Amino acid sequence: MPVLAMTLRGTIRSVATGMALSLLPTFCLPALAGETLDRVTKSGVLREVLVNDYPPFSFINENSEIAGFDIDLSQAFAAKLGVKLVSDSPDWSVIVAGHWKGRWDICICSMTPTAPRAQVFDFIAAYSQDPTVVVVNKDNDSIKSAADITGRKIGVGLGSSEQDYLERHFVSAEPGAKPVVYPFGDLTVVPYQGEDIAFLDLALGTGKRLDGVFTAYSTAKGRVEKDSRFKIVTGAHFFRTSSWVSVEKGVDPEWNAKVAQVIEDLKKDGTIRRISLKWLGYDSTPADEATTTTSSQ
Amino acid sequence: MSRIPFRYRLYGVWAFLLLLFVGFFYTFDLDLGLIVGRVPSLLGLTLTRTGALQGAALTLFLSISSMAISTVLAFLTAMGRLSRRALPYGVATFYTSFFRGTPFLLQILLIYVGLPQVGVVPSALFAGIAALSLNGGAYFSETIRAGLLSVPVGQREAGMSLGLPRHVIFRKIVLPQAMRVILPPAASQFISLLKDSSLVSIMGLWEIMYLSQAYGKTTYHFMEMLLAASAIYWAMSLVVEVLQFRIETSLARGFQRLRSA
Repeated sequence: MPVLAMTLRGTIRSVATGMALSLLPTFCLPALAGETLDRVTKSGVLREVLVNDYPPFSFINENSEIAGFDIDLSQAFAAKLGVKLVSDSPDWSVIVAGHWKGRWDICICSMTPTAPRAQVFDFIAAYSQDPTVVVVNKDNDSIKSAADITGRKIGVGLGSSEQDYLERHFVSAEPGAKPVVYPFGDLTVVPYQGEDIAFLDLALGTGKRLDGVFTAYSTAKGRVEKDSRFKIVTGAHFFRTSSWVSVEKGVDPEWNAKVAQVIEDLKKDGTIRRISLKWLGYDSTPADEATTTTSSQ
Repeated sequence: MSRIPFRYRLYGVWAFLLLLFVGFFYTFDLDLGLIVGRVPSLLGLTLTRTGALQGAALTLFLSISSMAISTVLAFLTAMGRLSRRALPYGVATFYTSFFRGTPFLLQILLIYVGLPQVGVVPSALFAGIAALSLNGGAYFSETIRAGLLSVPVGQREAGMSLGLPRHVIFRKIVLPQAMRVILPPAASQFISLLKDSSLVSIMGLWEIMYLSQAYGKTTYHFMEMLLAASAIYWAMSLVVEVLQFRIETSLARGFQRLRSA
């Protein structure tokens, strides 16, 4: 059918090329090979990345803007540097994949240091600490302690540090972290793409699909306050996760030092404590000794 | 039985099926009041705080621009597939094979995360449109090829015997007949594109699914927000279906039998 090919090819090709060429400059920015600190200072813009679905740390509020602990801290951080904050909120998997090549300067995004993540990120400073808990149905009296989850079906976020922990291969990359203990026996770990489906399953009734959901205390607190079907098991204690400020690995040591210093300042002047009280109702700032260590390059 | 006109019996069937659905959802014990406040941003009636399109407006923008670009790509690819030369044939078959044979998620990430590794950092919007267009174009090219092949060779030969130029034969004889075959699957393609566009939300584009999932997480009412999103998608695809019906009717003029009144 060369007839068709001949007649349309020319016009279509030129139209397509024109379209592509006109789109390119508007939609792409060249990768800047320069140092992060120079770029942030010169452009006056801090490009931050965080998620949209992790209340109360970062979520989309009723005014259709990103709100929460993480964004408040990012704002305070940008203010200290005297620059403007621009935030992106892609999927968590895109963030933790790393290799940003300068697309984002910093992640104040509730990231817990783990060994695999430490291969692509430098973890600069901890800013919030969070115990993990089990959430069960209100009428459940059979799970009272950590050991009681033995033999149960427990839902957990896919790819989360909580999943690693329940499956007994959580390796912290936190400097000075204590050895991890697992105060429970074998259980069925059920990973979910999102916690919401896990809670829908839990609400079907204890043991139907799940007996409990294993999650961070700070996020669970918000949920049980709004949803009376669930409660937090207060007597069950597990490991603590901590959220660290992270940057792309090995890009700019000066930037890392600057970030560490700014977070330290924000901790000293009580900013982080104030933000924590605002969003969580308690002070989640980690104790001082484990906070200012910059990670090894 | 046929005293009630077809149209009203049709409405009856739709209303009945819809009621069944509503009844099913009613058993979920949903808090629909929550949806109301989120509707304007889900529909995209307002811009985001940073001045970007959001919700259904963004979904429509993504889908329409991708459909336009993928139509161009699909025509080029169909030409390549019909060519007897190795280079265009090879490029076209490789392109369709790759984009139909690999997960769409990978294609998105190849553009969004892959390109920065070679020195270009595309914006989420660019990467989204590029991924949707490339993916859609691969599928659509086969639809177009099928349409072009469905026109009997005799039609072109007749045109040539009249001494018509090639582009006239294509525009006036081949294309109108091919369009009849292309149109129904093209409408399906556009409807899938509307929903596939939700996958580009992983790059942080605030389209319908992105917002509904984010709102679901914030309000702890996941199903309600998902239902609101579904209603918007369905409404948009209904519009496409009506348009398809209209265009189909007009393209079919030459094939309808005249009925005596």
